[in-house]
Amino acid sequence: MKYAGKKVITMIITLFAVTLFVFLAFHFISGDPATSMLGTEATPERVEALREEMGLNDPVLLQYGRWALNFLKGDMGISYSYRMSVSEMVADKIPVTVTLTILAFLMMVVIAIPLGIYTAKHVGGVIDRIIYMINQVIMAFPPFFAGILITLVFGRILKLFTPGGYVSYQKDFFGFVGYLIFPAFAIALPKAAMAVKLLRSSVISESKLDYVRTAYSRGNSTKAVLYKHVLKNALIPVITFLGMALADMIAGSIIIEQVFSIPGLGRILLTSISNRDYPVVMAVIVCISLLVLVVNMVVDIIYGLVDPRISIE
Amino acid sequence: MIRNGKKNYNLIVGSIITGFILLLILVGTFYTPYDPDAMDAASKFAGVSLKHPMGCDNFGRDIFSRVLEGSRTTFIVAAGTVFIGTFFGIIMGALTGYYGGIVDEILMRFNDAMFAFPSILLALLFISLFGSGKYQVILALGIAFIPSFARIVRSEFIKCKNMDYVKNAKLQGASNIRIMFVHILPNTVTVLLSAIMIGFNNAVLAEAGMSFLGIGVQPPDASLGRMLSEAQTYLFSAPTYAIFPGLIIILMVLGFSLLGDGLKSEE
Repeated sequence: MKYAGKKVITMIITLFAVTLFVFLAFHFISGDPATSMLGTEATPERVEALREEMGLNDPVLLQYGRWALNFLKGDMGISYSYRMSVSEMVADKIPVTVTLTILAFLMMVVIAIPLGIYTAKHVGGVIDRIIYMINQVIMAFPPFFAGILITLVFGRILKLFTPGGYVSYQKDFFGFVGYLIFPAFAIALPKAAMAVKLLRSSVISESKLDYVRTAYSRGNSTKAVLYKHVLKNALIPVITFLGMALADMIAGSIIIEQVFSIPGLGRILLTSISNRDYPVVMAVIVCISLLVLVVNMVVDIIYGLVDPRISIE
Repeated sequence: MIRNGKKNYNLIVGSIITGFILLLILVGTFYTPYDPDAMDAASKFAGVSLKHPMGCDNFGRDIFSRVLEGSRTTFIVAAGTVFIGTFFGIIMGALTGYYGGIVDEILMRFNDAMFAFPSILLALLFISLFGSGKYQVILALGIAFIPSFARIVRSEFIKCKNMDYVKNAKLQGASNIRIMFVHILPNTVTVLLSAIMIGFNNAVLAEAGMSFLGIGVQPPDASLGRMLSEAQTYLFSAPTYAIFPGLIIILMVLGFSLLGDGLKSEE
């Protein structure tokens, strides 16, 4: 419990550091928000009045505090280009990105774990070698290129889905999930290849340890040794990797959303970057980092549960 | 390349692929069959032929020539990124690992926070501040890559700083700077080299991703990622437009990762 508490506190401190960093970066580099809102033709008096109204003349840290507090209350500011509440713009995009990431994660686990165990069991065999080669190639795939090829093969040739035919989750949830399966596959594929490789090498190096020999000498079958002894330990580094991969997938979905034209967080982030709509950029970056940090924290806690040695340190 | 009578296939295949890609980049620097930017309405979407080995794009530009130019851009961006990341990562990791103390503690906490951040997100943040373009991408990705290198170098320095050869150098009166960069640094090379290989691949994928999103390398610079994003619009009418640039990215990454794996098993 103490360990979990420590992780929660670390996460809160990190979140504080990240938001402060994001806030300061935009504060000092992005120029004057009052000018951006009013346009370049506004009179200096009007700009000054708006600055006063928005509290831009206050000390920086006070401004950060106000922004962070509002953020916690769910008020993320006003978009420069759409003049609407950022929270409203972002709120319905979060479920899209989260669903996409969860789907991709599940796919990665379902593909990687059985395949990794299989290759580890048959090291040096023909199938192991073939999988190794395929793995190496897939790891080199940029996810968006995988997405393009999937569109070409599953969308165009096999006609399993309509490219660009995104269905909103509010309208038809199953249609929504059905469409997301293909982008999720594109995200999952390279990560699954890495996980297979990691699991294989982890099982192999674990099998060389003394306790495995002892387990054999006590008359255990190969199967029992693998499933009851080796896998328990071999999965530990894989769990760390899966956690990191999940965090990566959240960010990776930014690109895949573009390939499959899915209106998620990535989409809105990119439009706001090109519109220089800083409140939206900040809000989306903070939302994505929050997701990433929560994932990291949960993985750390699970890690402590799986491997009690960690939480004692 | 042969040890214990077993051939190191990773190293051999990796060297061949990387050599091939480097050759393409080298040739592309001095010679391209066509001007990569020359448009020719007559050969719009021309298929694969002897005249145009990879066909032509929507403006009738020769894809092969553009791939040559684009892979050079991608390579330069990736190399620049890794250079910035390694250079500052070494300085930061060496100082914090060697001296330790409160500065190390604070910098490493900050580093952990950055490390928890996916690098593409960090790069997007910098791009939205600096604007887009080739040099901005190098800078943005370079900064995003510093933490991972700093982390690796720091842990190596912590491991080495109490070893006998360092104590020996200290007794001989070597300065701290000399110990750090002349004595310890060369001993981190093997670890650093594999980190560079992995970092290079991540940089290639990140650059391609950012240019694909239209916020990386800007026209007229050709980049493999940009070509793919343009090709996506014409995916069904001209699939080869997307396939060749994608293939080159894959080969570039594959070559380096095989090379890295091969070098690791040579040790």
